[in-house]
Amino acid sequence: MASVTFEHVFKRFGDVIAVNDLDIKIEDKEFLVLVGPSGCGKTTALRCLAGLEEISDGKIMIGDRVVNDVAPKDRDIAMVFQSYALYPHMSVYDNMAFGLKLRKVPKDEIKRRVTQAADMLGIGHLLDRKPRQLSGGQRQRVAVGRAIVREPKVFLFDEPLSNLDAKLRVETRANISKLHLQLATTFIYVTHDQVEAMTMATRIAVINKGLLQQIDTPQTLYDKPNNLFVAGFIGSPAMNFFKTKLVKGDGKLFVDGGSFKVEVPTDRNNVYMPYLDKPVILGVRPENIHDPNFCPPGIFAQNIDGKVDVTELMGNEIQLYVTAGEHSFVARVDPRTKVRMGESIQVAFNMGNMHLFDPETEQAIR
Amino acid sequence: MQPIPAIPDILKLKRGTGSSHRFQDNLTIALFLLPALILFLIFVIYPIFQSVYYSLFDWKGFGPAVDFVGLDNFINILTDKVFLIALRNGVFIIAFSLVFQLPLSLALAVLVGRDLPGRVFFRTIFFMPYVLSEVMAAIMWLFLYNADPERGLLNALLVLFPGGKAIPWLSDTNIVLPAVFLAITWKYFGFHMLLYLAGLQNIPIEIEEAGRVDGANSFQNFFYITLPLLGSTIRTSVYLSVLGSLQQFILVWIMTKGGPVNASETLATYMYRFGFVRFQLGYGSAVAIYMFLICLTFSLVYRRLTRQPDYLTGL
Repeated sequence: MASVTFEHVFKRFGDVIAVNDLDIKIEDKEFLVLVGPSGCGKTTALRCLAGLEEISDGKIMIGDRVVNDVAPKDRDIAMVFQSYALYPHMSVYDNMAFGLKLRKVPKDEIKRRVTQAADMLGIGHLLDRKPRQLSGGQRQRVAVGRAIVREPKVFLFDEPLSNLDAKLRVETRANISKLHLQLATTFIYVTHDQVEAMTMATRIAVINKGLLQQIDTPQTLYDKPNNLFVAGFIGSPAMNFFKTKLVKGDGKLFVDGGSFKVEVPTDRNNVYMPYLDKPVILGVRPENIHDPNFCPPGIFAQNIDGKVDVTELMGNEIQLYVTAGEHSFVARVDPRTKVRMGESIQVAFNMGNMHLFDPETEQAIR
Repeated sequence: MQPIPAIPDILKLKRGTGSSHRFQDNLTIALFLLPALILFLIFVIYPIFQSVYYSLFDWKGFGPAVDFVGLDNFINILTDKVFLIALRNGVFIIAFSLVFQLPLSLALAVLVGRDLPGRVFFRTIFFMPYVLSEVMAAIMWLFLYNADPERGLLNALLVLFPGGKAIPWLSDTNIVLPAVFLAITWKYFGFHMLLYLAGLQNIPIEIEEAGRVDGANSFQNFFYITLPLLGSTIRTSVYLSVLGSLQQFILVWIMTKGGPVNASETLATYMYRFGFVRFQLGYGSAVAIYMFLICLTFSLVYRRLTRQPDYLTGL
């Protein structure tokens, strides 16, 4: 068990900066998820922590120890690889026991730990098999088991669910969360899937192009994204963005999108005032757009007119792809909504949950 | 039970009935195989039987074989001391290849495969001897081994050392075989290195990284992970090396002709001497049959003993 600190860490490959001034402190027993699109540097950051890549600049600490020049084997970490990287020539038992054998742990202790971990993961009956005789899900659990038996200070996961089918992924997600509770150890988890990040993390670090965009709890990231990238990355379907202008009328502020004009809640007037008559980007999440007939009570709703391009019935909701003038957006509306493709519709924006961004800096206006 | 739906007529017309269709397929396969098969029969299978036939005669290679001697040739070979020396030398070359040549090739493959700066350059350099013709390689080594320090590079270097004396590399019966073996190693290590390089590239880098995170140092990683996963490559390399050693001819023949006093005789030079120098073709054919049987037996036994799965497939 230990905290992990990235202090102004850089990793360059030639001219490419894969990790750009990463500065994070991960608390002991925390479940931190590094999330971002492919090639954003999240896996490189994890590999730097594992010692598989040398950092170009900065400092990485595990606990109070600077590990910049410490070999992977001496960092007291365990890692679950995306491809699982099981040793193909060893049985499941030997795969899990390998790290312990190298550390000269007594035989009965090895057996105790491997059996215990295998039972915990439900792979006790597979110990004699070779990796090639296992399904994808079983291999994944062996890879996790191999990490558990080592009882490391920090667990690293590199997209461990990306090779599983959708159903198994949901199941395994829950199992990894459970594991984190049981082991009470620091978990650092890399994924490109924001759903995985939201569901498992105690905190999420959103990374783009090697740069840390925002690090916070899942709910804060969802409620108060710092910039356009985070706003668009967290949440599914993604937040709708509208190129608009902030205008004034009757002492009230309005967001003018050309084909629509919606009122801003008065409690935000002071914050938004400096942007009066300037272009701004309005952000509204699909779940904050409703059918006016089924609007939740007490929200600050502003209606706009549009045309439905596509409807997708999901059972518990309908996703509408709507066009309003030059704007297109997605709405998640009540399943009782009666509307067909091509028909006109009026939808209500919940302006109480609106977001506004500066189009130049792409930062949230708060 | 549901009746099995009939095959639509249009399909039947196109493909004919099941059995005639299969016959047509087989005919096509046979036709495509025929040219290769004819060449194989004429130049490989027929000579084997021809050798078996001639090995039963005392035949000088001219005129029809008439002096039938039964198994005399085979018995005489086994009692010939030189044949036994050739056999022993074959075993020696095999042993040296397995102990020195292949580990060297593997070590170089590991070096030029990953970490060494300028590895592409070294890879090319190391592979060059294999591309060179065997005759040229042999002549080059003849120059290097020249006993006269004025002409032979190795001896020229040796005499530079205080107390250094020129060594008659190829005319000392105790040194000639290791000397020839050195030339063989130089000629062929690049080939085995290439095999190992290909094998190493098949091992996913994450498996070795997992080993490093699990606590293995470089040596443990190599011996516990890389080496076992190279298994099928090593088995192939050993197989080719053993067969190549048994059939070693050109380098030896050009450098030493099996001499001095048969000290570097191999099965192939022994056969060639009787077949094409002394023109005892019956006797030479019998030697060839022995070589064939040795290689065949080795192949069969080796294949049976090393039948192991390739762990990297199916992952």
